[in-house]
Amino acid sequence: MQLQSDFQAYLLDSSKGAAFKSQIVNDKKVGVKTRLGIYYDAYRLRIIEVLSNSYPILKALLGDGIFEQAARSYIDIYPSTYRNMRWVGDKMSEHLQENFPQYPIAAEMATFEWGLSLAFDADDAPILGLQDLAAIAPENWADLLFQFHPSMQLFTFKWNVLRVWQALNSEESPPKISQIEEPCVVWRKDLNSHYRSLDLAEYAAIQLVIAGTSFGELCEKMQETATEEAATMQAAQYLSGWLNEGLMTKTL
Amino acid sequence: MSAILPFLGFGLGLRTEHYNDILESKPNIDWFEALSENYMIPGGKPLDYLDKIRANYPVVMHGVSLSIGSTAEVDYNYLRDLKKLASRIEPGWISDHLCWTGVHGQNMHDLLPLPYTEDTAKHVAERVKIVQDYLGRQILLENVSSYASYVDSSMTEWEFITQIAEAADCLLLLDVNNIYVSSYNHNFDAKAFIDGVPAKRIQQIHLAGHNNHGDYIIDTHDAPVIDPVWDLYEYAIARFGQVSTMIERDDKIPALEDLVDELQIARTISATMSQKTLPCSPVSMSLPEHQI
Repeated sequence: MQLQSDFQAYLLDSSKGAAFKSQIVNDKKVGVKTRLGIYYDAYRLRIIEVLSNSYPILKALLGDGIFEQAARSYIDIYPSTYRNMRWVGDKMSEHLQENFPQYPIAAEMATFEWGLSLAFDADDAPILGLQDLAAIAPENWADLLFQFHPSMQLFTFKWNVLRVWQALNSEESPPKISQIEEPCVVWRKDLNSHYRSLDLAEYAAIQLVIAGTSFGELCEKMQETATEEAATMQAAQYLSGWLNEGLMTKTL
Repeated sequence: MSAILPFLGFGLGLRTEHYNDILESKPNIDWFEALSENYMIPGGKPLDYLDKIRANYPVVMHGVSLSIGSTAEVDYNYLRDLKKLASRIEPGWISDHLCWTGVHGQNMHDLLPLPYTEDTAKHVAERVKIVQDYLGRQILLENVSSYASYVDSSMTEWEFITQIAEAADCLLLLDVNNIYVSSYNHNFDAKAFIDGVPAKRIQQIHLAGHNNHGDYIIDTHDAPVIDPVWDLYEYAIARFGQVSTMIERDDKIPALEDLVDELQIARTISATMSQKTLPCSPVSMSLPEHQI
């Protein structure tokens, strides 16, 4: 039906509504411009609110004015294709990288906050604990394959995103924005999103496990930079840390 | 497909701000309405809380993006997710709005008005049948607040709603606040609306507050229900008898106990007015096994 196409075209860009306006009842009480303006404004305000909820620290970082500018241009460039408003902000990082290059940390901050939100409502899966491994005989450990929780995501940032996020989240002054290579892991623990930074060695170890490397192979790979004993010890420490942090899931 | 659905009593819209209060204090609320889309997600905290609340209370599902009046094709991915959520929480019923929300694969995330014409009524009724067949149950359609109407409309909103409900054999969620808002914005008689809809199809009532700008009202759900809306509710109950009723609050959300107090007004009006019609008491819905 043409009417819906025209109405939507007007909501997306009010300059396209000239012919459509004649379809709306005009009365002396409230003019057509005001009536349609309510819908036009509501569309934008509703999505700005959703973006503010998805990106609270990005908003604190940019300030209300710049954030609103970014949100309004986002709405124009990326009209929602989702039924669920939950997913509306998914391209914010690309948008900032493309259109707000003067704030170089902003795109990475958006990536990080979106990752936190993805962890929050990612699929559920049973957590693997240390006690689940107690029954496994030592000679079988080398073949063990591990799987991370569906909420788990790895990032490497070029800017000091984590420190800035942490300060702003605690309502403190953020440190000076600077370039620093900072890998981190994001996941959900006890129903809330968590994150922590990683050193490059642990980051590499996690990538190997994601790729389907067995525990034995992981130890072998780590021997490239350490003795056999030190590598096995380090791999066991990583694994025990991941298990304690609720990062691993039972394979079904 | 018709089944007699129970009178659930007096409920509230389920909001994240109240999750812990509900679980800790087990307030005197008969049921909750969950916004379907908030729980049409893979997993995590929202679904965990919904399961826990469902273990203690009846829950109904209320969607905002079925887009039943859209001229776009029916979105079966959306219906699949909706049905999946329904099989998880076993809701008393499922409702959405008589409106459209987008075309061409885009979504305006608003409850946009439809022209009240014979053709549109037929189009919507056909889609309601498709949705009801897919879900295997009757759905409830809610009248929306609107700010614009179309020159092409050839009937009143209540005639339009009635035609669709009769043709599709669906139920209605009457939003008394929305009737008030739209009657103010389009200058019609709110009581004529209530008189004009089929009483036997009214399964649920919404109440809410709004924002009056003088020449028009915007439906904001951020304030208590105003007296003229309570008067209309009284008028509706006098006509329909007791109907499962709830208060919607979406912004400036107060403490749960304030909403429990506000809900008491609905209980009192309903008890007084329905004595003049048919006696009716809340029916317990079976609760699913406690899921942790």
